[in-house]
Amino acid sequence: MIRVESLTKVFRRPRAFSGPLGPLRTLVTRRYDERTAVDGVSFEIPEGEIVGYLGPNGAGKSTTVKMLTGILTPTDGLIEVGGRVPWRDREANARAVGVVFGQRSQLWWDLPLIDSLRLVGDLYDVPAARFTGSLRRMCDLLGLDDFLHTPVRQLSLGQRMRGDLAAAMLYDPPILYLDEPTVGLDVMAKQAVREFIAETNRIGRTTVVLTTHDLADVEALCRRIILIDKGRVLFDGGIDDLVTAYAPPRRLVVELADDETRAFEIAAGSSIPELIARVSAEHTIRDLSIHEPDLESVIKRIYAESER
Amino acid sequence: MAEVLRTLRLYGRLQRAAARGALQYRLNLLIGVVTGVVYQGSGFAFVWVVMHTFPSMGGWSLREVAFLYGLRLTAHALYVLPFSSLIGLEWLVREGELDRVLLRPLNPLVQIMAKRLGVGQVGDLLAGVVLLVIAVPPLNPGMILFCLAAVVGGALVEAAVSLALASLSLRALNTLALRAFADDLFSKFGSYPMGVFGGAARWALTFVLPVAFVAYVPASVLLDRTGELIVPAPVACGSPLLGVALFALAYRVWRRQLRHYQSTGS
Repeated sequence: MIRVESLTKVFRRPRAFSGPLGPLRTLVTRRYDERTAVDGVSFEIPEGEIVGYLGPNGAGKSTTVKMLTGILTPTDGLIEVGGRVPWRDREANARAVGVVFGQRSQLWWDLPLIDSLRLVGDLYDVPAARFTGSLRRMCDLLGLDDFLHTPVRQLSLGQRMRGDLAAAMLYDPPILYLDEPTVGLDVMAKQAVREFIAETNRIGRTTVVLTTHDLADVEALCRRIILIDKGRVLFDGGIDDLVTAYAPPRRLVVELADDETRAFEIAAGSSIPELIARVSAEHTIRDLSIHEPDLESVIKRIYAESER
Repeated sequence: MAEVLRTLRLYGRLQRAAARGALQYRLNLLIGVVTGVVYQGSGFAFVWVVMHTFPSMGGWSLREVAFLYGLRLTAHALYVLPFSSLIGLEWLVREGELDRVLLRPLNPLVQIMAKRLGVGQVGDLLAGVVLLVIAVPPLNPGMILFCLAAVVGGALVEAAVSLALASLSLRALNTLALRAFADDLFSKFGSYPMGVFGGAARWALTFVLPVAFVAYVPASVLLDRTGELIVPAPVACGSPLLGVALFALAYRVWRRQLRHYQSTGS
């Protein structure tokens, strides 16, 4: 469905000059500042998969998504989405993808939500009968009925995000790009968004690319993740593989009689009862627990390693 | 053809949506129209005062200058009315609004044009048309057609310059000051007979920035004054076509620069 090969994006900005004739100077001089945002990224995503695209701020996530949607033209490399090259065939590509940017709404700010959805239906040439059906389904799945006639600027963030999701899926695109869809949402709203994504993927076999900082999103939705940093792929595979390959050792955490808490690393293959016996020989243990490494600590460790 | 109809239909729908949004701020809208009329009215009042002090301007009578002024103003309003959101292109780029435009299956320029109708320019259009009707010389049907073509051509000349310069803001350049400067040249020098300017200025306003072609050249044709032009009469008669050609060229520049659009970080 999505094929990306040695994808590279170098941003070239003309160096800005200040002063009254600054813009003119900027225009005529050929001095540029260059920054490589995406540096030889390759991956393939088959139909119907939900992939988490992760990385710290400035890693190149959004730039990749913008190239996949055809907003940006790659500097080098190859992209194919559903057999099309997005930047060359932007409008046809736009019909096949739904996009949600968590930070920025796609809806018409001053109009009631229903008007935005109608306009989206017009823009994507959705026939009237299919529109009615789609709208009904979106209202049921996302609970839009309560605020369908409220101007978007008066919606809460959670309501707005549900509106945005409806707008992105109204024309049944086979591919959905979500850029931080749960940012700033409360627990309930996050849950609603995740359920909608899972449902869309299950029923419509929609291929989903999800960039997020919230690892709970990833754990709830994705089986595969692509981890990038500084524009390069650090890891591409199943979450389970990631945890086995990079997981820091499990830890035995004990609370001692004098209210002190201590943690001991459990080396791979070592016996836990032996460790407990050794610790209790030296201290009086009041409570103990074994900490499994979570996804967050795994990812932290990978970033830390790539820093070196 | 079907594609053109679809584009027009969607332009209409988006424009109506933008108008519905703008109608939520009614007072703002009213002030825009009223200031448009007052501003342009004061501009012409200035010419009227000057002409009463000196009966002619570069050999043109008050009526002839009024006709030229009206022609320029109507052409200008006809350009700004659909293209007013181009003025805010830097803002659209900086706020990432252009990303949203590029995600939709519709011509990006059409979407940007549909973001806003320059209602403030309705005042300009009114003032321009009134001047034209009052000051129009007797014209035969052919000349009336030429007059209409000249208004559209003049609008396209201004639109072309504005679009070509605006395209550069897609490469993260701020051209707002440059565009304001060009706009100023059009309004300051486009509304008067060029004979009043010196040779070098006149040459530059004809061949460097085609200010003369917006209204002065076609007005000279309609007033039978082609003798004083610095371009041959046949060229003057073809001036509406220049607008079409320049706009086509500017649109190519726009498409090219869109490929170089860099979006914003986030």
